[in-house]
Amino acid sequence: MSKTQETEGEERKIVTFTLGHQMFGIDMRALIEIREWEEPTPLPSVPSYVKGVTNLRGAVVPVVGLAERLGWTPSVLHSRSCILVVAIGQRQAGFLVDEVADIVVIDSADIQPAPDVEVNEQSAIAGLVRIERRTSDASHAETMVLLLDLDALSLTRHIMDIAA
Amino acid sequence: MSDELDEIQGIFFEECAEGLVIAEEGLSAMAAGDVSADVIAGVFRAVHSIKGGSGAFGHGALQAFSHRFENVLDEVRAGHIPASAEVTRIMLNAFDILSDHVAAAQSGSAFPDDAATLEQLDAILASKGAPAEPGAPAPVAEADEFGFTPVAAMVEDFDPFGFEPVMVALDDLVAAEPAGWTVRFGPSRAAMANGAEPMLVIRELEDMGGRVAAADTSRLPGLRDLDPEEGYLVWTLDLPASVEEQAIRDCFDFVAPDSLIEIGRADVAIAPPVVEAAVSVPVIEETERPALTLVAGNVAPAVEKPKAEAPAQSIRVDLGKLDQLLNLVGELVIRGSILSDRLSPADQERVELPELSRLTRQIQDNVMSLRAQPIRQAFSRVPRMLRDLMGETGKQVQLVTTGETTEVDKGVIEKIGDPLTHMIRNAVDHGIESPEERIAAGKPAEGTIRLSAEQKGARIIVRISDDGRGINRERVRAKAIERGIIAADAQLSDEEIDSLICAPGFSTAETISNISGRGVGMDVVRSNVEALGGRLDIQSVPGEGTTFSMGLPLTLAILDGMIVRLGKQRYVLPLTNVIETVQPAPGQVQATSPTSEVIELRGQYLPVRRVGEMFGLTGERRPEDSLVIIVESEAAGHVGLMVDTIDNRREVVIKSLEDNLHPIRGLGGATVLGDGSIALILDIDALVVATGFKSALKGMAA
Repeated sequence: MSKTQETEGEERKIVTFTLGHQMFGIDMRALIEIREWEEPTPLPSVPSYVKGVTNLRGAVVPVVGLAERLGWTPSVLHSRSCILVVAIGQRQAGFLVDEVADIVVIDSADIQPAPDVEVNEQSAIAGLVRIERRTSDASHAETMVLLLDLDALSLTRHIMDIAA
Repeated sequence: MSDELDEIQGIFFEECAEGLVIAEEGLSAMAAGDVSADVIAGVFRAVHSIKGGSGAFGHGALQAFSHRFENVLDEVRAGHIPASAEVTRIMLNAFDILSDHVAAAQSGSAFPDDAATLEQLDAILASKGAPAEPGAPAPVAEADEFGFTPVAAMVEDFDPFGFEPVMVALDDLVAAEPAGWTVRFGPSRAAMANGAEPMLVIRELEDMGGRVAAADTSRLPGLRDLDPEEGYLVWTLDLPASVEEQAIRDCFDFVAPDSLIEIGRADVAIAPPVVEAAVSVPVIEETERPALTLVAGNVAPAVEKPKAEAPAQSIRVDLGKLDQLLNLVGELVIRGSILSDRLSPADQERVELPELSRLTRQIQDNVMSLRAQPIRQAFSRVPRMLRDLMGETGKQVQLVTTGETTEVDKGVIEKIGDPLTHMIRNAVDHGIESPEERIAAGKPAEGTIRLSAEQKGARIIVRISDDGRGINRERVRAKAIERGIIAADAQLSDEEIDSLICAPGFSTAETISNISGRGVGMDVVRSNVEALGGRLDIQSVPGEGTTFSMGLPLTLAILDGMIVRLGKQRYVLPLTNVIETVQPAPGQVQATSPTSEVIELRGQYLPVRRVGEMFGLTGERRPEDSLVIIVESEAAGHVGLMVDTIDNRREVVIKSLEDNLHPIRGLGGATVLGDGSIALILDIDALVVATGFKSALKGMAA
């Protein structure tokens, strides 16, 4: 159980969270913080999935409805809604997710490439991995986690593409 | 070690850049007819110090070229060559090549082809001035440090091996034929730790014919105590008498100031020069990396001062550190606001708090002024560009600049370079006509481009105007229809047609020239300017010329703002734009069309815009329940903006949206308010220009 990060390259820590009934994961190293949902300041002239901007320790950080961004139905806010603040390159962004689940260690070798998805114009899914899900009952249910490609979610890139 | 050398090298290139600016100003003044000794000497010194530094850093090609350029300048300075228009023209050419050389040395790219210019320089030397009269030691002694200048006369005087016999009594002829030099050089103990390399200095002295006579190792400690990064040795070098003292001194330009430097005639140990050499390089070892120069006082006087004099006290500071300082001050301002918000109104009025905010304000102003630089830095590249453009197009253009001492934030200067370049290219390529066309149109053959900068409130207005043919509206319109930018039956005002040249994908050049028709057009210029929080305006009169005005923010950091409410959101209006606030009486605001309204104010009708609607915040409010803020805009004059209420006045720290997102039209950025929430800063100019803004808001989030 106590697998550490020492053997990096082989093993990766991911943060898992849900959007609707799907479980997603992002690389732990990109995570800056998890914060409670707080209504951001809305912006003009932005795609609807950009919910606005919020103040992250003095920095103005955009908040993105991740479900909408990925083409799912928009998240409905509830008490466990939260914002994952991540670093994408030099920039920071907050993603609205339905519920943060766990931090799990996976073996990079177990990651399967995502099959070509035509749903999105550019796939934001970097790969698929199966994890054992901690459930209330003792049975170890396996579940599929969609690993996100954060670079593909970079706001600048996407919006600039639209503008061009 | 090599990192530190790189850093010092970086300083050298900054100094080169400064030197080039000084040289260009001087040469331009000479071209304009001012051939006073001061001006010529200024140019000489600038080129001379570039040469000196280039030798120390081993940029052979740059040194070789600057050396020969300097030879000519020296003769001009001495009055042996008249500073005629022709000579000045050749020297301007040489200056261009010198800039290229510096750029090549800096980037490590290929050296420019300087053969033709060198020939011209040598031709001046040969035809106008006797190359090496015995009575004029200066050019001779300076002459040959590396032995590759093929000026025959210099060889006689120059003895690379230091064998020159001293055959005259010393007291007889000290000036004319002195004894050789003895130089004692002991790098300070910390010199190497600071990135100095004594070897380079010694090599340079050797290149001038010097020879290490002795090395004093008496200070060398035992091996156990030896710190390999400290300097312990003192070298004694002999140099031939023909070398000029200044040339020797130059070798020590980049030596730490507390080093031992003694330069004397062989038989007399002269100490005084030590002081001068030390004083002239006071800042180098302090510096961490190539950075912004902070010059106390004016920059210009440095030109007039003789080199040996101590320069204005200045220190180089990494720009990143300044930014950090500015950010911290910004945070201080925010915390101050939070503190003030927490206190009761009575406590807020107590003397300590206003005192604190006054101090904070002063610190802020000071930090900002550190970042302010004369806009000359952005303008300085224009003359060179114009010379190139004239060569390429055969058009004749005269440049008139005004207001180049206007101070702007360093960040603004850095970012307007490209838009400026593009607009100048545009003006020459599309605006100014060929000399024949101009004469046919009754204009002087030489076109004029005026480049001006002035401060207006919290904005800097930079104008580029030409007296060319103006925008051909028919052609622009036809082109826009052809490109599908506007509909064929669109009714457009002249201004709207003019602004079409900034539309993405628009280019009117009939043949794509290699000057301005390279795919990136005025739309890039406009978006660059807008990304800076500025605005681009175009005024054009057919046959008389076109003026581009860039309205830029003075600083990118702090803004005096008015906090207004719209629905649940708070926004910041830049206070400098606000003229007055009106509580409309019933009937004072009237509709002139289903989408436009005016307010009657002291007999005048001003357009009114409902900001909430523009931001997609619906919720009909009667004008009587709202406030109308009259603002002044660059583009549309006085305009009323309708908001729900006004909160208060506050200084806000501008946080750019593009740090984590991208610039948004209509917004000048965002700020963090006292309670930690974010308020968006409105860009008045973008707001009042209704056309374009509403369409830009199409994608507005609900």
